[in-house]
Amino acid sequence: MTKYKLFIFSLFFILTLNLSAKDYKASLFGVKSDGVTLNTGSIQYAIDYISENGGGRLIFYVGRYLTGSFYLKPNVTIQLEEGAVLVGFHSVYDYFKLNDTNALILADKAENIGITGKGVIEGNGKAVLKSIKEQIQKGYLEENETQAKPALIYFDGCKNVTLNGVIMRNACSDVQVYTGCSNLKINKITVKSSVLPESKGLVLSDCDGFSLSDSFFEASGEELSSAGNSKNVSVTNTINSKGNKLNATK
Amino acid sequence: MAFYKTEKTRKMSNTKLLIAAILMLFVFQVSAKDYNISDFGAKADGITVNTRTIQRAIDYISEHEGGRLVFAPGNYVTGSIYVKSDVTLHLEYGATILGSTNPFDYVKDPKVKWMSMIFAINQENIGITGKGTINGRGFITANNMVNYIHRGIYKDDLKYDRPRETNRPENIYFRECTNVIITDITLRDPASWNQTYDQCKNLYVDGIYVDSKSYWNNDGIDIVDCDGVVLKNSYFDAADDVLCFKSHDANSICQNVVVENCVGRSSANGLKFGTVSRGGFRNFKIKNITIFDTFRSAITFAAVDGGLIENIEVDSVRSINTGNVIFLRIGDRWSKGKKPSMKNITISNVYAEVPIGKPDIGYNYEGPIEDNPRNISPASIVGLPGYRIENVKLKNIEIVYPGAGNPLYAYRGTSTEELDSIPEMRDRYPEFSQWKELPAWGFYVRHADGVEFENVKLVADKKDYRPSIVIDDVKGTTFKDVIFDEPESEGKEQIIHSRSSDVTIK
Repeated sequence: MTKYKLFIFSLFFILTLNLSAKDYKASLFGVKSDGVTLNTGSIQYAIDYISENGGGRLIFYVGRYLTGSFYLKPNVTIQLEEGAVLVGFHSVYDYFKLNDTNALILADKAENIGITGKGVIEGNGKAVLKSIKEQIQKGYLEENETQAKPALIYFDGCKNVTLNGVIMRNACSDVQVYTGCSNLKINKITVKSSVLPESKGLVLSDCDGFSLSDSFFEASGEELSSAGNSKNVSVTNTINSKGNKLNATK
Repeated sequence: MAFYKTEKTRKMSNTKLLIAAILMLFVFQVSAKDYNISDFGAKADGITVNTRTIQRAIDYISEHEGGRLVFAPGNYVTGSIYVKSDVTLHLEYGATILGSTNPFDYVKDPKVKWMSMIFAINQENIGITGKGTINGRGFITANNMVNYIHRGIYKDDLKYDRPRETNRPENIYFRECTNVIITDITLRDPASWNQTYDQCKNLYVDGIYVDSKSYWNNDGIDIVDCDGVVLKNSYFDAADDVLCFKSHDANSICQNVVVENCVGRSSANGLKFGTVSRGGFRNFKIKNITIFDTFRSAITFAAVDGGLIENIEVDSVRSINTGNVIFLRIGDRWSKGKKPSMKNITISNVYAEVPIGKPDIGYNYEGPIEDNPRNISPASIVGLPGYRIENVKLKNIEIVYPGAGNPLYAYRGTSTEELDSIPEMRDRYPEFSQWKELPAWGFYVRHADGVEFENVKLVADKKDYRPSIVIDDVKGTTFKDVIFDEPESEGKEQIIHSRSSDVTIK
């Protein structure tokens, strides 16, 4: 290539990169940081909008953002700035199921998605479990506790997934569940989920290309659990609350 | 849940009747099982958005033989919910369902392509009952939507600087439902139309109170292409048309309707057929309605989109402080080759007062002041040359006009040329004021066959330069006991007819 062509090409590339990396503040979509307003509708609208308009980051600044289940869509990253807390809504009916798994943040065959930043995903597990028990006891929820309990994150069949920096706390069920995903990179996350029993830190199933590094896991269940066959798995510099190094199990 | 008694009941023996009654009671009890929304975890704090919880409760009840979902006193915030078969939302006195003010908490239904708080699509045996309230909080929601449109994150062309009606939530939108009961509730402040019942069968509305003037296009009630409707004992105060019947589908029709004991106030029309009138309107009995402080007509029947209007009886109307009383109009707007028609209309026992000033002054979202130099417009019955209005009977009618028509302000004479200067306006949106100055102060009739005036009294408080009645191109008109009361008008010819045959004055 001539220099001229290269210049044009790189200009075009930068332009494209810029487009795809557009940042959106959550308030643009009416998302409220008061810890009281249920933001599900606005957050989902924001993600859909960003995904349909070339992708980008949805940025949450300091504050408490109450939400029920939402879906991540292609080319969208949730950026949680330090002090930003995504808080799971207490009512079990505000959680959606994907493949029989309830979760707060879902993704179904989405590419290029992520959750980044030094903020928190707070599962509010105790309150959710209370709602589940109450509804089962009243007979309105016709499934058992295990079936009803939402995870924090459940991604299925996703490609190019990035998790970086975030703190995940108090899941009602497992913290993270990844099935059939490829090229999954998790770095510098903190998992603290030991308030409720049997909360696994991370469940991996049939994934191809998984790397976990520089992270901390405190969970009441297994920190890392593998349910199916995964390929190209690497775990580095990651410890649990007892200071033990965690390894790729299978 | 059907509300038509069959003849068979009367023929049954007492024993059979008793057994039937017990059985009915049993059935009624089974189907009327009550569930409290709070048991599903809904919060009545006026803050928590309960959409998913309410939806789950409705689904549960519908899947378990039906019943009532009861809302105890409190404020329940929600976005879009779908009522399902055999479920009645029962709002106790003091219970309010508040619409979320976040437009993104609402669904634009993929089938009907509207937003609404309470939807029902293809369901049966459903209802909303009780003395509670549904408050859309539409002013805030609509303005939030405007904000999002300006930010560029919601697409809308902001025609007239407002989002399209379909991009703002109604309170209720029921489509293709059978056996619908709406009783006792109060409906407030939607962001768009208030309540639409579209292609429903057996719709029963009784004793509702509607206060609907929080944003543009706030209608009172829209009954679209429904078959078998009872609407009674209800009160409406709305920014747009109040008792509004529409026909959106050229292959459907709005028919077999009873309206009784309703009171309405509007910054548009009181009782209205149209404007969308593709299929038509047939077999209506409307009795005892009061329309007041209303900007346009107390009664507007518009067949302007190829639909028919036939067999309509309106009996006992009080129309106080309304801009116009009766407006019957055939137009040719969106007919697409269909022939609009209007016939067999009877309007009787009417007392009406038309003011000199703006009748809806001071209400939220007042009707628009038109660039319209005209003196007070008469009641009008106006067809088109090819599409004539047939068989209209006007009986026992008294209309008190302000009169005072000043020819220096606006003038239309009664010569053939002057009558021909009134444009046909085939495809124009129908309003009583569309022709600007009309040549009569009481009634103007054009392109009609068979119009009977019986015991009609037309009063003008002040002298008007125009005659009271002008008929133009009308075949067969009878005036029986028609009285005019206008000051300084001795010897004035109050009835002018042009190109009309069979005019009988008794």
